[in-house]
Amino acid sequence: MGKITPRDVEALVELFDQSDWDDLHVELDDFCLTLSKRAGAAVERISRPAATESGSAPVATSKQERVQVASSLVEQGRAAVAIPDGWVAVRAPNLGTFYRSAKPDSPPFVEPGQEVHSDTQVCLIEVMKLFTAVNAGVHGIVRQVCIADGEMVEHDQPLFIIEPRS
Amino acid sequence: MALNRVLVANRGEIALRIVRAARALGIETVLAASAADAQSLAAREADRTVIIGPASAKRSYLNARLVVHAAKATDCDGLHPGYGFLSERAELAALCEEEGIAFVGPRAESIERVGGKIAARELAASVGVPLVQGSGRIGSAEEALRIAEQIGYPVVTKASAGGGGRGMVVVRDAGSLRTAFERASLEAMEAFGDGTLFLEHYVDRARHIEVQAVGDGVGTVVQFAERDCSIQRRYQKMVEEAPAAILPEEVRLGLHQSAVHLLSSIRYRNAGTVEFLYDVDQQKFFFIEVNARIQVEHPVSEAICSVDLIQMQLRIAGGESLPLLQSQVVPRGHAIEVRIIAEDPERDFSPSPGRITRWRPPQGEGIRLDTAMTEGALVSPHYDSMIGKLIVWGRDRTKAIERLAAALGQFSIEGIKTNLPLLRYIVDHPDFKGNRITTRWLEQVLLPAYRNQTGA
Repeated sequence: MGKITPRDVEALVELFDQSDWDDLHVELDDFCLTLSKRAGAAVERISRPAATESGSAPVATSKQERVQVASSLVEQGRAAVAIPDGWVAVRAPNLGTFYRSAKPDSPPFVEPGQEVHSDTQVCLIEVMKLFTAVNAGVHGIVRQVCIADGEMVEHDQPLFIIEPRS
Repeated sequence: MALNRVLVANRGEIALRIVRAARALGIETVLAASAADAQSLAAREADRTVIIGPASAKRSYLNARLVVHAAKATDCDGLHPGYGFLSERAELAALCEEEGIAFVGPRAESIERVGGKIAARELAASVGVPLVQGSGRIGSAEEALRIAEQIGYPVVTKASAGGGGRGMVVVRDAGSLRTAFERASLEAMEAFGDGTLFLEHYVDRARHIEVQAVGDGVGTVVQFAERDCSIQRRYQKMVEEAPAAILPEEVRLGLHQSAVHLLSSIRYRNAGTVEFLYDVDQQKFFFIEVNARIQVEHPVSEAICSVDLIQMQLRIAGGESLPLLQSQVVPRGHAIEVRIIAEDPERDFSPSPGRITRWRPPQGEGIRLDTAMTEGALVSPHYDSMIGKLIVWGRDRTKAIERLAAALGQFSIEGIKTNLPLLRYIVDHPDFKGNRITTRWLEQVLLPAYRNQTGA
């Protein structure tokens, strides 16, 4: 068996998406892929953000995003989103609640497509009413928001994907 | 009222033990783990694992707000702190109370009441539990000199803010008191951020004996006999037994009554231990402190009393009353626990983290192993180096020792250094077999002999 390519994963996701299966689990050598359409199901630990963001299926809109979600296998059980080469993730410093804006009715700190600098605040992480500001840490363009507002995030979980600009 | 889902705020063998006890009661578990423990056995067995922070305990297991947030966010209605880490922080119990989460342990006010050694001594004195003659807080070496004269030498300094041997210096005469006092105060300051000391009479031939108890929170306390934990190195226990075979029967009764009396006076809830110093020569016991948590060595009490203390903790936290009366607690036989530690006794007990390449534990009747280790597991350098607890039961102490010796002989661990060779040496020693040990025996008698033998 050759190496699993992103194309293979995409094909599996497509297949799964069109099927009436609730779960799909594939293990090959050191590759492991778990897909579920049940919200907060067994894959919770692995692909929680995607599962919660899209409601039922852990599959987002574009094909590229699907691949990212699909390869959320990751034996670490932490990195929920595969990051395209050269792009970087802003990660949660600890477990907490993710907030995209300063107040419920104020606009998000950042939107996809927006340029950020390393000191641009991108979100808040709340732990028992203590709010910690998280900065982008890099200059670039926000390409993806990985977590829905108000969701719990775990330590090291990707919050945003940024395409760096030099 | 019964708990539905409990957050396990700990790691290692105790996390696994709590996960399994909860499962046996039909309670779901959420493990709050650090990034270093994402792949632990407890993480695999828990219904869910959330990674709360990085490996550093300060930013994960020691952060009370983080742990409570994790419990809330995952809809837990209970939280078990295990031992160590946050288990005796009143802050954690208080946060749980505020959030309506059942803390599997005492009320915050009880933790505060018994947490400081001086406050605990005052409590013990107020209910007539014997204390080693000692002082209140001492402000200066001059005051210490005056008080030491009253108490009588030898005396020992102790830190008001904590234990573990830091701030403890034995003083045999007035001439050496001043230097000792200053050294101890500095040590206490460095360890606990508080250099406050008190003085106690020093017992030369002492044993460490503690009573396991469980309270219902409304005034009833049941004891599950006592443990003898005299084999210690730098105040860290290494071998624990139940019962304490050294005790005359009337002393044992007094010991149990004192522990129950003390805890029921504060309507203590859940599991706790009252520690005593036993003066072998005078056959008298003296209160040391209360440990307001489940302890590492709880399995020896379970073994002789045929109870599951962790399950009992979870049931009481879920609002149940004590599952049995004092008269139903009938200790039987003798149990011994040894702590398997990833430290090299031949290199001054330096920690030996690493990958376990071989893990062959003993098996058989009367043998229990509490561990979260397996072959291929990594002993993390981030945390305490205890990797397991081997517990044996026999119908009497002699039988238990035989079993322990055989079990230790079968135990094979490779890839890391452990204290197994030292434990085998202890168990084979005539002083141990004859039960002629004191709290200083390991350091003063056994270790020098062991080093001689190994040439270390």
